[in-house]
Amino acid sequence: MASLSHDDLIILLVSISVMLIVSRIVAEFLKQFKLPVVMGELVVGILLGPTILGNFFPELFNSIFPAEGNVPIALDGIFSLSVIMLLFVAGMEVQLPLVLKQGKIAVYTSVFSMIIPFVTGFVIASYFPHWFGIPEDQKLLFSLFFGTALSISALPVIARILIDMNLFRTQVGLIIIASAMFNDLLGWLIFSFILGLVNSSSDNSAVFYSLGYIIGFGVLMLTVGKKIINKALPWVQTKLSWPGGVLSISLGICLLCAAYTQSINIHAILGAFIAGIAVGDSVHLHEKAREIIHQFVTNFFAPLFFVSIGLKVNFITQFDFTIVTIIMVLAYIGKVAGASIGAYLGGMNKDLSMAVGFGMNARGAMEIILGTLALKAGLIKEPVFVALVIMALVTSLTSGPLMRRFIDKDKKKQVSEEEEDVFTYI
Amino acid sequence: MDLSKLKKRASYPFENIGVAIGFSPNLEAILSEAKMLADVLNANLFLFHIGEKTSEKEEALEIILKKLGIDSRKVRTMWMDGDPVDTLLKLCKLNIIDLLVMGALKKENLIRYYLGSIARSFSRRAKCSVLLLTKPTMPARKPKKVVVNGVDNPKTFHTINTSFYLSRSLGINDIAIVTENHMPGLAMTIAESSTAPEASKIKKEYSEQETNKLHSIVEKCQREGLNVKEKVITGKPGYAIRAYAESRKADLLVINSPDTQLNILDRIFTHDIEYILEDLPCDVLIVHSRV
Repeated sequence: MASLSHDDLIILLVSISVMLIVSRIVAEFLKQFKLPVVMGELVVGILLGPTILGNFFPELFNSIFPAEGNVPIALDGIFSLSVIMLLFVAGMEVQLPLVLKQGKIAVYTSVFSMIIPFVTGFVIASYFPHWFGIPEDQKLLFSLFFGTALSISALPVIARILIDMNLFRTQVGLIIIASAMFNDLLGWLIFSFILGLVNSSSDNSAVFYSLGYIIGFGVLMLTVGKKIINKALPWVQTKLSWPGGVLSISLGICLLCAAYTQSINIHAILGAFIAGIAVGDSVHLHEKAREIIHQFVTNFFAPLFFVSIGLKVNFITQFDFTIVTIIMVLAYIGKVAGASIGAYLGGMNKDLSMAVGFGMNARGAMEIILGTLALKAGLIKEPVFVALVIMALVTSLTSGPLMRRFIDKDKKKQVSEEEEDVFTYI
Repeated sequence: MDLSKLKKRASYPFENIGVAIGFSPNLEAILSEAKMLADVLNANLFLFHIGEKTSEKEEALEIILKKLGIDSRKVRTMWMDGDPVDTLLKLCKLNIIDLLVMGALKKENLIRYYLGSIARSFSRRAKCSVLLLTKPTMPARKPKKVVVNGVDNPKTFHTINTSFYLSRSLGINDIAIVTENHMPGLAMTIAESSTAPEASKIKKEYSEQETNKLHSIVEKCQREGLNVKEKVITGKPGYAIRAYAESRKADLLVINSPDTQLNILDRIFTHDIEYILEDLPCDVLIVHSRV
């Protein structure tokens, strides 16, 4: 069996520790200013990557992050594992029963907040592929991807904003959370289908096979698979070591499902995501076990993955103002309009619908993961990727304050209506 | 019957009690429990059988009624053909039934559960309160321990008051009003950006909010003279209260009627009342508050 040399191992360990320690320090610093952790991790990637370190200290950069040899292969394996784990924990928080429970408003909000941005992105990319540097023959796949990229939401960022605004347990908060969960599910299903198309031959039957496999796997895992996991978990949690048993089994299921979807030419992320939903939805999964899995993935794999983005892309040379502006405008228009219209049609008033629209607009880490995978699959060019990352950060930062404006407006209206009632009564 | 009486009719008192008769081995015990309730609550008793009316069935029923001391002239017995659930719904509506008593298996087999047994299908669609008896006894035994849902919902006030009315009438003095604290998405958010003290502070705050909400609902209800405990439990709504009722060895679990029309999707992606119907922890009273 081939193995890393003595020096390779040292470099690998140093590079990982540098990424973990520096990203933690920067993320904690930025947290003081209420900035998302993922932003700190991206900044560290930019600092340690070709944009800054590689530009000013190329020798140091090449010695910590060599471009050739066994170390980049080992790191690539770790980054792939990281994204699989990230999708697993993202899936663990998707609770479809919550969408059903929230009823009409959640269904309308999630469907409209998917359809309108998707159509916006798809149409613009289909008619103007040259804006994004995409050749005519690749425009269909890019258009599908671009529609999906504009329609995805980021549950963790949204949940954080809601907690900070004390809206997490309110009706508006629950609608946003439920809709974002449904968005995530549909978004990742569509994206996996697109990746399946990239990997498959141009044969039409391959498209139907991909679609059939995705639907079949999803339905099987979310019905039979989920029931089996639910039955097995109490045994796992009481008969095996705690929390080691549940950790090994859950992560094992995740990797097995990821391996299966990868083997049928759909990306491994879909398997991990669906496995996450099946495990996370179990009533028997102890809250402590859920937290441990989240802590492990979010604090070890997530920083490695997000720092690695900056290591691969030069954010200064690949920055294209036009593309950034187009993506930003489309992202705001599509998502805010879609989610607001959905919430309004579902029965919410105008101001709260707008609040839901801006709440759903936060893209955060999910958009960055989507962009990274698309870049790796050759679906997009680096300037589009950079624009997507910027869009993800800007939407995450502006979501809270814009939402607050409409929540406050609604509160003021309610107060004035109450005062009017009192006046009429007198 | 004047159907306008049904509209906004209060969830209690139970003036008209219906019993769904299936001629199962439990029939005698179910009728015995229903008689006990009708006697205590001073209610009229209606017996519904969906199926063919035969002389054997009539005879068998007559014998049981006599044995239980039920005067067959004082109860109305109705025999009708048709779809069991739809016909029962119609009969309850026409007779302004406040409470329908039915026997139910603790747990249905998987196929029957997904396709919907009569008792469970009726419970999902009923426009009156439903009492599902899992282990009816002969002679009837009054429940001693009651668990009542205290979720944040306009129906809860009526459900709690109905449980208090029933507790007073039956002399129950061990009542626990329970609400479930469920925070989807919180684990992920806390893992990403909260320190340990911040995380415990957030959890504590949410738990306190639930406690206060529950207390404010219970305070508005008519609890005079009853020993009522208020409790916040953590877990998925429906499942957590089911597990709590089981662990407390409750005799009766009182819950709200469903907010929306439930279908097979709600059974596949189980939530709320479906967790309870999936595996009844004890006798279950589903209160239809008609609000």
